[in-house]
Amino acid sequence: MMRRLSDIYCIFRIHLARLRAESGPFLLAAIVFPLGMYFFANGVVRQDPNEFIPNYIKVHFVAASLVFSLSLTAISWFGYLLLENRFTGRLKLFAVLPVASSSYILGVMVFALGQGVVGSFSLLIAARLLGVDFTVNSFQSIFLLLIVVLLAIFSLAGLSVVLAHRVRSFAAGSLMTDALGGGLVLLAPIYYPAETLPVAFRWISKALPTTYVFQAINKILSGDLVIGTELTVLCGMAAVTLFIGFWQLSWREA
Amino acid sequence: MTMLENKPGIALHGGGIFKRYADGTEAVRGIDLGVERGEAISILGPNGAGKTTFLRMLTTELKPTAGLVNIFGIDAIADPKKAKTKIGVTPQEAGVFETLRTREHLELFGRLKGLAKSEAVAQSERILDDLGLSENAKKRVGDLSGGQRRRLLIGLALIGEPPLLILDEPTTGLDPVSRRQVWDLLKKIVAGGTTLIFSTHYMEEAEQLSDRIALIDAGKIVALGTLPELQSRFPLRYRLKFTGDAVVRNTKTLFFEKFEEVQTFIEEAAPVEYQISTSSLEDVYFSIVGEELSSNGNGDGRLGK
Repeated sequence: MMRRLSDIYCIFRIHLARLRAESGPFLLAAIVFPLGMYFFANGVVRQDPNEFIPNYIKVHFVAASLVFSLSLTAISWFGYLLLENRFTGRLKLFAVLPVASSSYILGVMVFALGQGVVGSFSLLIAARLLGVDFTVNSFQSIFLLLIVVLLAIFSLAGLSVVLAHRVRSFAAGSLMTDALGGGLVLLAPIYYPAETLPVAFRWISKALPTTYVFQAINKILSGDLVIGTELTVLCGMAAVTLFIGFWQLSWREA
Repeated sequence: MTMLENKPGIALHGGGIFKRYADGTEAVRGIDLGVERGEAISILGPNGAGKTTFLRMLTTELKPTAGLVNIFGIDAIADPKKAKTKIGVTPQEAGVFETLRTREHLELFGRLKGLAKSEAVAQSERILDDLGLSENAKKRVGDLSGGQRRRLLIGLALIGEPPLLILDEPTTGLDPVSRRQVWDLLKKIVAGGTTLIFSTHYMEEAEQLSDRIALIDAGKIVALGTLPELQSRFPLRYRLKFTGDAVVRNTKTLFFEKFEEVQTFIEEAAPVEYQISTSSLEDVYFSIVGEELSSNGNGDGRLGK
């Protein structure tokens, strides 16, 4: 057990060095672009520049931008990193070690989780500085927010793990991670009401983890801590993506 | 289980190893190889001969279609994780983590091989020194030259002091000085009892490092033995490299069975310049693998007599 934890920690450390060296792209994906989306959404909802926007709408957009941040970091940025590991031969270094492939997945997941937590809380601090009044003031709300971020990362980064080991080329994978990172946010009713979507897309949005991550975060930021349904769905989605990830990644080719 | 597998002096036994890919390509077609503890074996062969596929099956990266791989008494097909505790590997096209520092890279991979932190630190220092990378210990791996990265990859195989090293073209891309540095290190490690299996395209490397040489062609071992044993299979023992005869004025290489035949040829052809030597591993390689003699582009591809 200790050996396994040590392996997971080492794999986390190896990937953490990436964040240390390339913090710029991470900050763009985790904070700058989501803040841009927050300003964009606020701008679109205004009829004129001086129009007052109620706080609950601002909170809604903060929650949406948080999901955007999680999606960009867990799929676009993290997925790219996994693709690099595979297609530049780095994964081979792990494949020839006496390390379980599940330890590799858990190691990179812990890294993704760290990114998600740093990005989410940085974004919340930025939102507070912008004068948005949301409710994350109790141990329970912080704890629930962490659980949602954890499940969001497991379901979104789990998709990255699956994708990174299924695609045939680096270029195709890179395109997919970029498209999914933004697409999963745009296809879910996050910045707009679900009713504005065509019926078919409404059904698709119900299958996206981003929909439930948004609903859970929006409720928490609004002071409603009853998020059992969202947590249950996200648990199921995370379990499925992780199961597929564990099942697919084998050190030994057939 | 065969007798060979149980023999205490055997480090690795591959029996009837066969690999057919999904598209029907037969990359390895029944290789049998026993390697004794402390022995160094080089794998030579043309591109596409099956060298890397064979080595990847030994390192457990690739599952053989048929056959057995036994490493220090461990069935590497049934229990690859346990087998990997005995192996240090340099894959042919492996990448390194460019954002790590050189020392950090070695230490973390030492930990992943199960070393305690203090031991990983101590071994990393020693390996950095042995590979001439001490001055680059604090540098980001991304700032290292191609040759230095290659040496780091060899270091990643060495850390943990595994009893069996499997290196796929370990010195490709290294300059001559670095290559000799790696050779010296590998010689020292093998002298210490480590078993070494490596593939290479450098004949001199095979000559310098191997106790035995295996020539692979079309997925099979076509020759296996010590250098003198392989040379004895090549009857044309004398090589004559000469410039100019009555007809052609460029450099040519011809091979002869007897020294008297060389003398006769020289007397008759009266070349402007000539050089006589005994045939090399490269000559043996070409004669067995069946490729044309090139002699660095100067030969005419004929075996003379």
